[in-house]
Amino acid sequence: MAGDTTPHAPTRSLEPAPLADAPAPGAGGGNGDAPGTTSGRARATRSADVVQTRASLIALAVLVVVFAAISPQFRTVGNLQQIIDAAAVLAVLATGITFVLLLGAIDLSLPGVIGACAMTVSLLVANSRNTQDLGLLGIGLTILLGAGFGLLSGVLSTRLRIPTFMTTLGMSAIGLGIATILFAGVRPVVLDEGLGAWAAHRIGGFTVMSLLAVAAVALGWAIQRWTRIGRYAAAIGGAEDIVLLSGVPVARYKTLAFGVAGAFYGLGAVMLTARLGSGVVEAGAGTDFAAITAAVIGGTLLSGGRGGVLQSMIGVLALTVLANGLILTGVSPYVQQAVQGVIVVLAVAVATWPVRRRLGVVK
Amino acid sequence: MAARMNRTRGTALIGSVVVALALSACGGESSAEAEGEGSGSTGNCAPEDITLVGQVRNQTNPYEAAWLAGGDAFAESVGLEQQKLTYDGDSQQQQEQIRQVLASGDASCTVINALPNGDSDTTPIVNAADSADAWLVTQWNKPADLDPTEYERWIAHLTYDGVESGYQIAKALFEEMGGSGGVIALQGILDTAAAQDRFLGLQKALEEYPDIELLDDQTADFDRATALEVTRTLLTQHGDKVGGVWAANDDMALGAVQALEAAGVDGVAVAGIDAVPEALEAIADGSMTATVSSDGPWQGAVGLAMGYCAATGELDVASIDADDRAFFAEQFLITEDNVQEFSDPQLDMSEFDCDSLFSRATGPIAAS
Amino acid sequence: MSNHAPIAPDASRSTAPVLAVRGLTKRYPGVLALDGMVLEVRPREVVGLIGENGAGKSTLLKSLVGLAQPDSGSIVVRGEEVRLRGVAHAASVGIGMVFQEQSLVPNISVAENILLGAEGAGVRGGLFRWHRMAELAQVQLDKIGSAVSPRARTDSLTFAQRQMVEVAKVLALEERTAHEPVVLLDEPTSVLEREEVETLFAQVRRLRERASVVFVSHRLDEVLEISDRVYVLRNGRVVAEVDPAEVDATDLHHLLVGRESTGSHYHDDAQQEPAGDVRLSVRELQTAGCDKVSFEIRSGEVLGVAGVQGSGREELCRALFGAMPGARGQVLLDGRPLRLDSPRAAVLAGVGYVPSERRTEGVVSSMSVTENLSMAHVGTVCRGPLIDGRRERELVDTWVRRLGIRTPSGDTAIGTLSGGNQQKVVLARWMVSEGLRLLILDHPTRGLDVGAKSEVYELIRELAASGCAVLLLSDTLEEALAMSHRVLVMKDGRITACLDAPRGGKPDPVAIMEAMV
Repeated sequence: MAGDTTPHAPTRSLEPAPLADAPAPGAGGGNGDAPGTTSGRARATRSADVVQTRASLIALAVLVVVFAAISPQFRTVGNLQQIIDAAAVLAVLATGITFVLLLGAIDLSLPGVIGACAMTVSLLVANSRNTQDLGLLGIGLTILLGAGFGLLSGVLSTRLRIPTFMTTLGMSAIGLGIATILFAGVRPVVLDEGLGAWAAHRIGGFTVMSLLAVAAVALGWAIQRWTRIGRYAAAIGGAEDIVLLSGVPVARYKTLAFGVAGAFYGLGAVMLTARLGSGVVEAGAGTDFAAITAAVIGGTLLSGGRGGVLQSMIGVLALTVLANGLILTGVSPYVQQAVQGVIVVLAVAVATWPVRRRLGVVK
Repeated sequence: MAARMNRTRGTALIGSVVVALALSACGGESSAEAEGEGSGSTGNCAPEDITLVGQVRNQTNPYEAAWLAGGDAFAESVGLEQQKLTYDGDSQQQQEQIRQVLASGDASCTVINALPNGDSDTTPIVNAADSADAWLVTQWNKPADLDPTEYERWIAHLTYDGVESGYQIAKALFEEMGGSGGVIALQGILDTAAAQDRFLGLQKALEEYPDIELLDDQTADFDRATALEVTRTLLTQHGDKVGGVWAANDDMALGAVQALEAAGVDGVAVAGIDAVPEALEAIADGSMTATVSSDGPWQGAVGLAMGYCAATGELDVASIDADDRAFFAEQFLITEDNVQEFSDPQLDMSEFDCDSLFSRATGPIAAS
Repeated sequence: MSNHAPIAPDASRSTAPVLAVRGLTKRYPGVLALDGMVLEVRPREVVGLIGENGAGKSTLLKSLVGLAQPDSGSIVVRGEEVRLRGVAHAASVGIGMVFQEQSLVPNISVAENILLGAEGAGVRGGLFRWHRMAELAQVQLDKIGSAVSPRARTDSLTFAQRQMVEVAKVLALEERTAHEPVVLLDEPTSVLEREEVETLFAQVRRLRERASVVFVSHRLDEVLEISDRVYVLRNGRVVAEVDPAEVDATDLHHLLVGRESTGSHYHDDAQQEPAGDVRLSVRELQTAGCDKVSFEIRSGEVLGVAGVQGSGREELCRALFGAMPGARGQVLLDGRPLRLDSPRAAVLAGVGYVPSERRTEGVVSSMSVTENLSMAHVGTVCRGPLIDGRRERELVDTWVRRLGIRTPSGDTAIGTLSGGNQQKVVLARWMVSEGLRLLILDHPTRGLDVGAKSEVYELIRELAASGCAVLLLSDTLEEALAMSHRVLVMKDGRITACLDAPRGGKPDPVAIMEAMV
């Protein structure tokens, strides 16, 4: 029957035609009680998110199995550590952007926010350009700066009612502008040993950065699960008008969700800077699309309300495994990009298959 | 570096200005057959009427920032200011900026020292400048069949022989490795001429060193973060066999250095191209072996200098040797031995005298 | 506002009203939605509201929850005049609404939905305490005896379960206001099946123990069954206040539309014998939920398809319109094969489709009446590649007049029109096309009031008389019988019966029911 049971029913749409031709009492009908018309819709549909997550995991598993079969190097513990380490920054960024995507909004501000934060942190900790040496405080301030950018994106979007596509794009340009001014022609090399250790020091084979990323993702998940910001973000993405009708200050929570996202971008910028060893203006180039792609592969829908931090992590791992595996399996660099594109599209197709609507309308 | 130079060497510059002005005054008299009109291969602009324009992609990387700083230094030396334009790698925006510059003020006394976004962007820039009678020097990118000698005021196009750059650092790298071992190569964006030429240079060097094995070549898009990931993955794959990393630019080389440090690997030689300040520091402290400098400040200054000399009439474009109208400029291999000289760069203002502008030309760009 | 006193249920009729509407007037562009509306709701009673679409029901309810601001008149809650600023404000004075379009967020838990925006002790220090949330929500669910788990994800519930959750959500007002709430139920039964309606009624009766209820429905006998008092609305005013014990559905019809509705309701006289040839021939159509179905429709014939949920009749409709991927079978339209793989091919072949989900599939709410009307047939108003604005307007004016579509102008966003008028636009969209051979109507009268239904029936008769073949899925069996020349009965994806239904010789519904279940 309604086997099309669109698990991703559009917001507020009703269940598929529930009416049987039971003689409904109408004008002058005179029919008595109808025999019970047991409806098929009594059975609860399986949570769409579970189906979705399973599909994403399958896509990731297929990648892992194929690469492991082809490349012996892929199967090593060292490579696992390498993959986790390589995924660290993207994981933090994707955690941040998940909050925005949950809202049903989009965030293209990453390149600018990361650029500004990368320059800021490299100028606040011990560096080759000035005499600042704020250490952890500098890192904290940078994360606050990221949050500030996010809040500003949020305020502009909600108060001025500008689409987030435009506000965040503008925010990116502003961030890059600030970064360029801070850059002033000379890259500040990070001399702070604590920050340098993030990339170099290993605990149990994993870099400090990987462990920080795991902690950050866990924090992101907790925010999503246990705070109003996280819960309302999902609810707003599910049905904004209903949340508004319930008296929730939607604009405030949207703004806060952007702020949380910005804080994660700030942390991501610090991690990138630790990894690159100096403040690089373009450190965030392309991260917006990488983070969005990761989230989408994981099953976070651009239309909002579905997915979450953990789902996005599946996508992050899939992207990282793909980049790593293509090199290890010896795919020619000349075709890697194309292969990568094809596999990403396939992964998204597999991962989002269960939520395709019956008429297959895609926007 | 270049920015710092502006401040610290202000007095020296003023000195050079005086010398330069004196020299240009002498040169000016000999060739000052001024034409009343704003066309032809020599100009008759008063120095103070000249507009100097430097245009690069953006200021967010040290190389292009140094280029503009060099232009500033030259402009200051002749008592002018350089108008700095950046177009964010956007071809449309570059053309628009050129149009605006040419539309404002006296185009025939305008000098443009431009870095075209790509080969195909050069043609419209040249045509726009030509029809406005502005003085133009282009660098790096130019279609092979576009020839400055066919234009009166497109003074010159200069670029660097990427094959040579790739070859020089490869040799330095192989020598550092003792002539044998495995190397991995980090290529630039594969469809750019720079990446292709530099890689050709590596291959040329490989033929001369039979004991060096190219273990793997991967693209890292000229990008530091990408290079870091790629290097780490390649280290996973090739492990101890890696004795050297050849990178098509310094950013990737620095990414590779970071990756080696993170992996706790010692004794792997790394070479890059561009001579960005961080690479020079890395060479000084031994974490990098070699890089090649095109001398960004010189590039930023020499283009303006050529235009300035032509606009004032001290340089007759028609009289320039055809080989110098489109030439490869000299590049410098930087290793531990000579890194100090380049770490503290000084613009030698005498290089911008109107009669020594082409002293760094190493030969005409081979028509291919 | 602490005059809350326990009120004995039997004393309710004589007590002061908990909610009073005094002379409420609201004007929208071109429409006087409320025209001095006056009514009262007393403690612990169920007040029925009936009225045609456009009679002012929706606007009244919106005003009562602060979603519409009346131009004049007042709303008095427990003796105090209030100016409601929004749903949250209305909730704070004890008025809550169960919306016709369900107002639950699908992707969060039942508990979150019930407590949305008022989590109270469920959130402490900014952190959700899920145990406490579940307990708090359970309190509300217990009030109506619902077995739904507060931790379940809302979109995993059935429609009826979700409606119970909505009621529970509204009941949460009690704790927030220290008053017995007024619960507005907007067309709660329109998409429920009979047994679910019974469940709902049981809940409403239970609700009456602790709240006042305003019950809005277009099913008159339901209103009569559940209400203590019924207001009949017409043109933005109350035209009658009746005691359900003293009237029947026929009386209400008179009051509602001012005309005898039962006899002419289906325009029986207009049913003509189909004279044409076979228009659509379906052989062994196979698709998900539809197993080797074969039948024919002649031109000018209305073929009703009866069946319960899951019988496969909806899939059949979608398949014929090319909207069921993977449908197979030999389908001939006027002797030519009809492709089943794209709606566009169907449209080009002369097949029209009026979907049941009007809001999501039938109209583009944000676009104008004109755009919606000419959407499927832009070709007829085009000159070259451009839309000819003048010709489009003429066309729209013609149809707006012909179908009596009540709209201020062709440029009005269709979402602002009443359901009946929206549906007329959808029908007009297909009638515009001179090449229309087959029109598939999937529950065309769902959610429409008596008057609007009757007008839609008239249009269907007209279409058939003009030679178009009509495939009709009805809201009610009665409607299917009355409107059709023949009725197909489907069960489990197969055709189990086919009955002739000529004028004056309609088959016995009981026979059809037997074939259905």
